[in-house]
Amino acid sequence: MAAPAPPVARPAPPSATTYSNRSQVRRNTLLGWSFILPNFAGFALLTLVPVVATFGIAFTKWNAYSTPEFTGLDNFTRLVQDGNFRVALFNTVYYTVGHVPLTMAASLLLALALNRKLRGVAFFRTAAFFPYITSIVAVAVVWNMLYNPTQGPINQFLLTLGLEDPPGWTSDPSWAMPAVILTGVWKDMGYYMILFLAGLQTIPPELHEAAKVDGANAFQRFRNVTLPCLRPTTFFVLIMLTIGSFKVFDLIVVMTDGGPGRSTLVLSQLIYREGIVNGRFGYSSAVALALFLLVLAVTVAQYTRNKRLES
Amino acid sequence: MKRRTLHALAATTAASLLLAGCGGGSEAAQDEPFDPNEPVTLTVSVWNLAGTPEFQALFDAYEEARPNVTIEPVDILADDYPTKVTTMLAGGDSTDVIAVKSLMDYSKFSTAGQLQDVTELAEGATDLGGLDAYEQDGSYFALPYRQDFWVTYYNKGIFDAVGEEYPADLTWDEYVDLAQRITEKAAAAGIVPAEGTKTFGTFTQPWRSAVGAIAAAQTGGDQLGSDGYEFFAPYYERALELQESGATLDYSTATTQQVTYRTMFTTEQAAMVPMGTWFTSALLQAQAAGETDVEWGIAPMPQPEPGGETVTFGGPTAFAVNRNAEHSGAARDFLEWAAGEEGARAVAATGILPALQSQEIKDAYLALEGIPTDELTQEALAPDEVALEMPVGPTTAQVEQVLTEEHQLIMTGSASIDETLENMAERVENEVG
Repeated sequence: MAAPAPPVARPAPPSATTYSNRSQVRRNTLLGWSFILPNFAGFALLTLVPVVATFGIAFTKWNAYSTPEFTGLDNFTRLVQDGNFRVALFNTVYYTVGHVPLTMAASLLLALALNRKLRGVAFFRTAAFFPYITSIVAVAVVWNMLYNPTQGPINQFLLTLGLEDPPGWTSDPSWAMPAVILTGVWKDMGYYMILFLAGLQTIPPELHEAAKVDGANAFQRFRNVTLPCLRPTTFFVLIMLTIGSFKVFDLIVVMTDGGPGRSTLVLSQLIYREGIVNGRFGYSSAVALALFLLVLAVTVAQYTRNKRLES
Repeated sequence: MKRRTLHALAATTAASLLLAGCGGGSEAAQDEPFDPNEPVTLTVSVWNLAGTPEFQALFDAYEEARPNVTIEPVDILADDYPTKVTTMLAGGDSTDVIAVKSLMDYSKFSTAGQLQDVTELAEGATDLGGLDAYEQDGSYFALPYRQDFWVTYYNKGIFDAVGEEYPADLTWDEYVDLAQRITEKAAAAGIVPAEGTKTFGTFTQPWRSAVGAIAAAQTGGDQLGSDGYEFFAPYYERALELQESGATLDYSTATTQQVTYRTMFTTEQAAMVPMGTWFTSALLQAQAAGETDVEWGIAPMPQPEPGGETVTFGGPTAFAVNRNAEHSGAARDFLEWAAGEEGARAVAATGILPALQSQEIKDAYLALEGIPTDELTQEALAPDEVALEMPVGPTTAQVEQVLTEEHQLIMTGSASIDETLENMAERVENEVG
């Protein structure tokens, strides 16, 4: 906190005022710190400290009551052998691989459709954004009803289409994950649509006009004008979506709670179960660390790729 | 001047934030005496105060018996109760009395040394049902005030309408037949509770215990998996048979629509519902509020063989004293009182079965308005044996998780019973510990 006044290159002031200037700078620094303190203290206490502590706790055995006991790599050896971890890791990747591209495609399509002057465009934009601000519990309950294998509207519709044996959705282990992914896409696409809309509106219309004059058709204009101009937005959306998908928790907990069986058990849920429910904070931290490394690796890879594309 | 005010403001904010982070509690003496004249505010952690009438009944009666005590309930959402209390206790919270919702929680809190030893209080209480479950190496850390076990609730109206006898002394096979007969007859007679619904012979609550715990109680199998899980097989076969023949609402619909036993029974969509005795209290409340006019009775749980003892499962619920309690003396007095005669009366008056099972208490319970008075009900409320829902041990929570996951696979018809039970045993052996 008592940072020395930064060395600023400025014409040497008369020696008489140096002292008061310095104290002025220090005072300003302190004042600045005190302004961010309420927010920063909360962040540090509730986020930063626990996050940093995870790195230490992962190497211990700790049930939140006792003193942590250092166990070296035990938790990680266990992680490698744990069937639940393998299932959760697979499911998390499954969810991400399904959720990210589908949400990107859906939100981009929505943005393109609603990025024009048409009657009631504000209404449609609001409608598309609505799922995002709807309570996740309500979303889960209603979608579960829609997915009901015997009486649900989705399967009733599929039956009238002539499908003989419609999927069991959330009550069938092989369909539960696709069902959750679909719900996730529906819920998130409105938010990313807004981001894409903002991106689309920064594209200068001259570019499209020039392309049109050159004889480019709509699809060519989309590929060669819209998409390249959208790259910063696309990249941001990709990163946010990937991180969000890897740490999916609430949607799964309220929709299937990992079931049926372990077919939708994801990593963040395993972390919660091991730590908060079973009181094994050491092992739970090790799982959290594994998830962190996974997200970090994927994000770094995406950054590197983006850099290469930009240059 | 202005700047100085700002500085002061910032400094105060910072200081208060730091202070808020480290509120401390003082360690209370374990054997602090209870002074009947000094005013005391006793804090008690409870779940879902509004929906659990015995809590308020106990508190009111206790405040009347001890005029110097005011009870301040700490109301916690029922689903979050175990995790919330774990966090409170780990953080050194000084709530005096902790209502212990399950034996699994009890095991967790007591082995972590969070509860006070109440062995001397337990020694004085002899006919307290379910007390044994709280013994740990000769010591007790909680006293039960309530004891539930599973019975069969049935709808007399539906039975009369389809011309079946009330379900006395049934074996499980007879139960399955009866449920199927009622479903068929009700459909044939056009008995429809409301448009778009139908009358089922029974309703199997999707909980794992509705199949697994009763199987263990009646066959003597070990749910912690010491000899595999073959003893579940006949119970799962019957559960699937009921579901496939349409005599109960299927598991997938019940879970995706979040259908509850309460709705199924009070809206007359199910003729029989096996459920814990706490359902009586809910039925009395619903009747008093005019939400249902079902004419109901209680029958014993079906048994595997005819003519044997009536075996069911259930579990006690208890109060414990927090190790960091602010008013240990008053808290211990409350425990003893709630488990005793007066507490039991207050609990029984809400339609909940108290742990203290003297004849007077039973009579008081049966004399409640709305409780069926027929002989079958009386027989059902006096089973020969009440086994614990789940054995308590350090691995209980983990085993329960595995059993629940595999239960879902069987009930959704995703895997065969034999294969899943083998998987269960294998997973419990490899993953738990």
